[in-house]
Amino acid sequence: MTTVDNNLDKLAGHGHHDEGSYLTPKYGPIGTVWDWMTTVDHKKIGVMYMFAVLFMFFLGGFAAIALRIELLEPARIIDGELTGAALKYFPGGGGENASIASAGNAYNRIMTMHGAIMVFMFIVPGIPASLGNFFLPLMLGAKDVAFPRLNLASWYVYVFGSMFGVLSIFMGGVDTGWTFYTPYSTTTAGQPQVIAMVLAAFILGFSSIFTGLNFIVTTHKLRAPGMGWFDMPLFIWAIYSTSIIQVLATPVIGITLLLLIFERVLQIGIFDPGLGGDPVLFQHFFWFYSHPVVYVMILPAMGIISEVLAVHCRKRIFGYRAIAFSSLAIAAISFLVWGHHMFTSQGELGAMIFSFLTFFVAIPTAVKVFNWIATLYKGSITFTTPMLYTFAFLFLFSIGGLTGLPLGALSTDLHLHDSYFVVAHFHYVMFGGTVIALLAGLHHWWPKFFGRMYHENGARLGCLLVFVGFNVTFFTQFFLGTQGMPRRYASYVDEFQIYHVISSIGSFTLAFGFVVHLIVFLHSMFLGEKATQNPWGGLTLEWETDTPPIEHNFHGDPVLTHGPYDFDEVVPPGWDPKDYPLPEPAPEGSKH
Amino acid sequence: MTATLAGINDMVIRLFFGQSADSTMASGATGSDALFLYIWWVSVFFFVLLMGIMVYCMVVYRRKEGDVPIRSASHNTPLEIAWSVIPSLLLAVMFFWGFDGYLKASMAPSYAEEVNLTGQKWSWTMEYSTGIGASEFHTVGGNDNTPIFYMPAETPVRLKMHSEDVLHAFWVPDFRMKLDVVPNRYTPFVFTALPLDRSGADPRVEIGLSKGGQEFYYRDHTVFCAEYCGDSHSEMVATLRVVEPAFYKAWVNTPPYDVVTPPVEVGELVWKAKCAVCHTVDGGISTGPTWLNAYGYPRDFTDGSSMTQEEIDDKGPTKWDDYIRESILLPGAKVRAGFANAMPSFDGQISEVELRGVIAYMRSLSDRDPKSPIEGFDDLEAEAAELEAAEGGE
Repeated sequence: MTTVDNNLDKLAGHGHHDEGSYLTPKYGPIGTVWDWMTTVDHKKIGVMYMFAVLFMFFLGGFAAIALRIELLEPARIIDGELTGAALKYFPGGGGENASIASAGNAYNRIMTMHGAIMVFMFIVPGIPASLGNFFLPLMLGAKDVAFPRLNLASWYVYVFGSMFGVLSIFMGGVDTGWTFYTPYSTTTAGQPQVIAMVLAAFILGFSSIFTGLNFIVTTHKLRAPGMGWFDMPLFIWAIYSTSIIQVLATPVIGITLLLLIFERVLQIGIFDPGLGGDPVLFQHFFWFYSHPVVYVMILPAMGIISEVLAVHCRKRIFGYRAIAFSSLAIAAISFLVWGHHMFTSQGELGAMIFSFLTFFVAIPTAVKVFNWIATLYKGSITFTTPMLYTFAFLFLFSIGGLTGLPLGALSTDLHLHDSYFVVAHFHYVMFGGTVIALLAGLHHWWPKFFGRMYHENGARLGCLLVFVGFNVTFFTQFFLGTQGMPRRYASYVDEFQIYHVISSIGSFTLAFGFVVHLIVFLHSMFLGEKATQNPWGGLTLEWETDTPPIEHNFHGDPVLTHGPYDFDEVVPPGWDPKDYPLPEPAPEGSKH
Repeated sequence: MTATLAGINDMVIRLFFGQSADSTMASGATGSDALFLYIWWVSVFFFVLLMGIMVYCMVVYRRKEGDVPIRSASHNTPLEIAWSVIPSLLLAVMFFWGFDGYLKASMAPSYAEEVNLTGQKWSWTMEYSTGIGASEFHTVGGNDNTPIFYMPAETPVRLKMHSEDVLHAFWVPDFRMKLDVVPNRYTPFVFTALPLDRSGADPRVEIGLSKGGQEFYYRDHTVFCAEYCGDSHSEMVATLRVVEPAFYKAWVNTPPYDVVTPPVEVGELVWKAKCAVCHTVDGGISTGPTWLNAYGYPRDFTDGSSMTQEEIDDKGPTKWDDYIRESILLPGAKVRAGFANAMPSFDGQISEVELRGVIAYMRSLSDRDPKSPIEGFDDLEAEAAELEAAEGGE
């Protein structure tokens, strides 16, 4: 009895070791590029998505550093004059007319650029489209996603949408904030680039829907023989829950953004009170999508943490079903809490209901954290980079979650709403949660991606810098918020300066940490040590195939013979992952 | 024991809010800070517990040579029920406490002092029950013309807020209170400022001198716009000056300018309250054109039309007077070349006296004004002072 019958194939000499990995070029240079551009292989699409979203992450990161530089001084460093002078060179900047113009302040445009890029082009597609695309079929034992061509289409739609976003930046940038609140976004004069940016978000929504649809069908239809719903790795549960939200919520933002474009272009009064519309209606529409999407951002991250934690502690995950069901519960409740973004702009009844429901969503989230911590108990814990990032995640995400409590309670939120406290809170969740988990996942699966190991100590250094830099940057912002610093301010009163300076220094450390990671990754891609098939000793199916995987994922059809976290049942004493595949356990027939 | 706890609580409040526990300056705020403390202690408890277990496991269960995966419980129903139910109860307390505080903070008795507040890109304007508005300004942060709004202590106040253009939000951090300011709708910002400490123990209570030469106690609270509203969002600040109820009553019944106030001074006040955020008077660059040496000069507009020197010479001052009037009431009609159409309309918010004041003030700032041979702003002020002195001597 072997774990998977493709091992039988190998033993019997039926393996296709000359087949080469999915990365092996089969044609000349141009042919290879064409091959990638027209590929329907989920692995190549996942890799292309990964490069695309990481590029966007660095673009958004540059914007963030620019903001932190501006905020070193209480008064504006880049004023209207400088902006006006720069705007002249942008096609949508108004030409000579813009000169001193719109005092169009650079800060607001860069702030919007940071938010819009990070949300729409990085963090929403981030994990599902890159790691999800690559590993969901592998973990299910499938040869590809259910609709490979739709998958490729989603990548092109993503690139097309992102080009609109970048175009709007080149047209002079958008200064509405990533939330496009009306009536500001419909009444600011002379900004065709607002429509370009809104269109970008609209188009990107389709790419989300395509990916989500694909993953739902793949999970339902293409699981390996023997894999029941509760034999699925938790990463799949997370991606599956995410996909449901994407398919159900994204159309709402599409409709909302279309209405916004109609109002701007055709002057139909929907949101603009000047035309008889209601500006708060826009907020309802917007957050009806954007709140569930917060969970599109965080659920896949939680999935990664469940995987990494189990493998690097070689421990059965505590409360598998609780974690799986809490993903679904979060996905469901996430549709009912949008109003907590508007406690200061709606009536008492709405505020009460949404505050109540908001506390509801806290419970499944807390349960997940408790389960992860309980998994550590009696584990065999390593200190590899993915595991260090998992510890970082537990630390930062706990802070992120707990600081959500005073924002969910009504009387405290009246003070903290739209302050730096909120900025710090959601960065702890989005960055401390999602980005940190993405880094954990990237390092965990890196060998599978490219067949090479990364430099462990180099990556650990990067992890340390990111962790310290992040906390210095954002923990200070909690104090800024409680003391009265509002969001989206380019200048501020003098007493806040010390906090801003500390925060900026933190952000530079953080940026340096990413440079270290970039170097480690580049080094690994070209000079890294060859990776073995299963360097960490994971039990999920992606480790059962070659590293990097062959074009068709598996030699033969994988059959599931053990659960994803059955370490205590199948891993023998003194086992080194290098000895993969696992030795045959003594027949006992006690499983399942 | 209780004293120590109170001391620690005070430290926490100082850490987060910058001032000691009694720094909350409005009745509703005390409850909000108490809830904040409760959430803080619940959070600290769970965070320390979770991180403690995590670090303990990191040390005790680090991987050793020859480790065998240990079979341990994959779930534990009593434990799982406990860690779902206990946090739920703690959260239920947070919800009710927060809702209760919210209701208390948003209700005002019918006898509350009502003041109209208008938010507009990028300034706040108050209109008191007597029809007057702010007449004093000072520097806060980057804004040299921050209006000072007098407010009575120990009296419930309802600010009836509305916006002339986009969304704004009125935030008084010291009151732990904010509310959105929305176009086409009134929203009520309710507070009761706590009494002024006259003993000198509170460093925030200061003594001022009124126009009538009377000493009075006051305490300032900064107001920020918290809902993003565009270019000068971060300069949209104001000051609430809390004074004793008796002084407030006298103040609110003293008009800031009357028929004998020279139009130039009226214009300057209007400029500070409504225009300064976009228009400088010293030639500096801002969102809108500077007013220094503007009056009487020819102008080109973005639509290609222009106001030529000949036209101005033909029609005399009325040409420019009309242009200013039109620009204030219907700003989009003629937008000066080089500038965006960013100005909101002030139709209905500016009186005829104030309009004439602005015209007079702009005229006084220009070297093309036939009536004003003097160049520069400082000289003009001197001239105005002389004028006043002359009037006083009559």
